[in-house]
Amino acid sequence: MSPLHLLEIKNLTKHFGGLAAVDNISFQADEGEIIGIIGPNGAGKTTLFNLISGFLKPDSGTMKLRGENITGLEPHKIVNKGIARTFQVVRPFRHLPVIANVMVALRSPRGARKIEWLKTIERKAADLLEDVGLSEMMLEPAENMGHGTLKRLEMARALATEPDLLMLDEPFGGLNPLETDFLTKSLMRMHLDEPTRCILIVEHKLYALMKIVSRVVVLHQGEKIAEGTPEEIAQNDRVIEVYMGKGIQDA
Amino acid sequence: MVTTYIRRAYSSFVAHVFDIPARLLAFLLFLTLLFIPFAIQNTYYLRILILANVLAIFAVSWDFLVGRTGQISLGHAIFFGIGGYITALLSSSKFFGLPIFLTIPIAILAACIIALALGIPSLRVKGPYLALVTMSFPLILAALLKWYPLNHIFKGEFGIRGLPALVPRLDWMTIGQQRVGEYYVTLILLFAASVILYKIANSKIGLVFVSILDDELASKACGINVTKYKLMGFMISGLFGALAGCIQTHLLRFANPPMFALTLSFLPVIVTFLGGLGTIYGPIVGAYIYYILDSYVLRDWLPRFLKETVGVTLPPEFDFAKLLIFTLIVLILVIKLPRGIAKFTTDKLGDLEEARDLDERGPRIWKTYKKKEKTTSTGSEPTASS
Ligand SMILES: Nc1ncnc2c1ncn2[C@@H]1O[C@H](COP(=O)(O)OP(=O)(O)OP(=O)(O)O)[C@@H](O)[C@H]1O
Ligand SMILES: [Mg+2]
Repeated sequence: MSPLHLLEIKNLTKHFGGLAAVDNISFQADEGEIIGIIGPNGAGKTTLFNLISGFLKPDSGTMKLRGENITGLEPHKIVNKGIARTFQVVRPFRHLPVIANVMVALRSPRGARKIEWLKTIERKAADLLEDVGLSEMMLEPAENMGHGTLKRLEMARALATEPDLLMLDEPFGGLNPLETDFLTKSLMRMHLDEPTRCILIVEHKLYALMKIVSRVVVLHQGEKIAEGTPEEIAQNDRVIEVYMGKGIQDA
Repeated sequence: MVTTYIRRAYSSFVAHVFDIPARLLAFLLFLTLLFIPFAIQNTYYLRILILANVLAIFAVSWDFLVGRTGQISLGHAIFFGIGGYITALLSSSKFFGLPIFLTIPIAILAACIIALALGIPSLRVKGPYLALVTMSFPLILAALLKWYPLNHIFKGEFGIRGLPALVPRLDWMTIGQQRVGEYYVTLILLFAASVILYKIANSKIGLVFVSILDDELASKACGINVTKYKLMGFMISGLFGALAGCIQTHLLRFANPPMFALTLSFLPVIVTFLGGLGTIYGPIVGAYIYYILDSYVLRDWLPRFLKETVGVTLPPEFDFAKLLIFTLIVLILVIKLPRGIAKFTTDKLGDLEEARDLDERGPRIWKTYKKKEKTTSTGSEPTASS
């Protein structure tokens, strides 16, 4: 018997009308991996995340977390099983201060008294915000925050659920180079702190992505067209064609 | 470095949760209410304040549902009516004749279970659509109560009458003493209801409610069972709504179909907007303002004033115009004073203490702390600002 993968996806398919947004995709992710998921616009990356996190139900195919079938589970159940995600377009709780945004996602310690929960939850939230560099503004309401801040807040919030598998949808989207650099560093730091956590990253900024991932999955029009190390992917003819082909043809 | 951060965050956090001016005001309000029977000897006026207490409980339960969980209900009368009718049927000597200390808890429990069922539409529709759906519930029930074949149970329009009193009048009691008793019973229940709801609103559950109000999908991504919390919101709100219905039933000693009327569904809306949405204490202030306006001004003072100075006698239809007048007042308030009168006052009080960022857009547990002086950032952390 083969050892259990952390996440195992088999023949996952999702159609929107006649369009196959995710078409028969299979791949595995193991503990401690950082996997990049790339592909041109509309390749189906976000849809894949929506399927894994339970926000969409697949038409066919299965998803297993450590061998346990999680296909079709409610999103909150999947989160509690250990899969967290961020959104490509940020979704903060605007009426709550930054720190309370993170506190919502923290599990409250069972049986703890109110004062203790305030202390433990608040400390945890403050630590998480420090990890992503937001301690300066944790008391500000989320609605006053800029896009870059909210992107990092999303990440802190996802981390608050203590995931074994973290899925980041374009974490660098809309960040300036300084912020991108900071986030890359904190991702690497987190990876060292929690070496068993697996991270899936959807990203268009390939330069930033390729520095941190150990493996890349390439999607195109809903299909997986390549998988391998960053070096292999950079050499892959099909990938080059998909990414550049159009430009060459047009020229 | 980290510990100073945490300590600072913690102290301001506590300052936000335990909103000092609001607490102070609530305490003063409660003290005033406690001594009112000594100031007012007139049993008619005391009666009005008793009904204000009941309305306050009802409105606070509505405010919790709408202001804190974001589920708009325009059919809150259903909880009021269900609570009232169940305790009426169980306590009426013509049916079961049970004592009210049993029937009221049973009625409340039953209303909780029904609230669970009524909460189900909230899982599918939102906002104004939910408001419309909920609005129809009490109207359907009212029609059922008036349905001819059921008349031997519910007695149609007449209602179930001759019920045991909330505070029975013992041999040695005067009417005035009975009223004072009723006043304190309702006041204590109001106090208990608002403290419990305030505590819930400021706990982790309250935080989760606001997160669902803000963004349901993001709440799910945080591992929150949105279905469970939405139904929980309905149940908690239904519980206190039914409590108000039970109290009024035994105060007036009857339950009749108008307990399900549209007017009763709109009253908590009016009263809450008068006081301030999402504040818990606002509806209490609003209920008192409403009853004072309604009974002292519109029913007492205005007709007398018109008769004596202008010589006009108001027709009985004027009663209908009252709801219109209140709706107008609320409309003006929503535009001019969107935070409500009570919230406006506490915010002003808060302003005296420290600069606070006032929120005009909606409910909030944690008010923001406008730092008087921006702390200069140390280190090379990038700070993104809009
Ligand atoms: N809810 C939906 N209903 C209908 N079609 C959808 C829906 N969501 C996505 N699609 C379509 O599915 C395809 C894949 O979309 P998806 O958002 O997964 O792409 P993506 O790889 O995340 O692209 P991007 O890089 O632009 O974020 C697109 O053609 C999109 O138009
Ligand atoms: Mg996408």
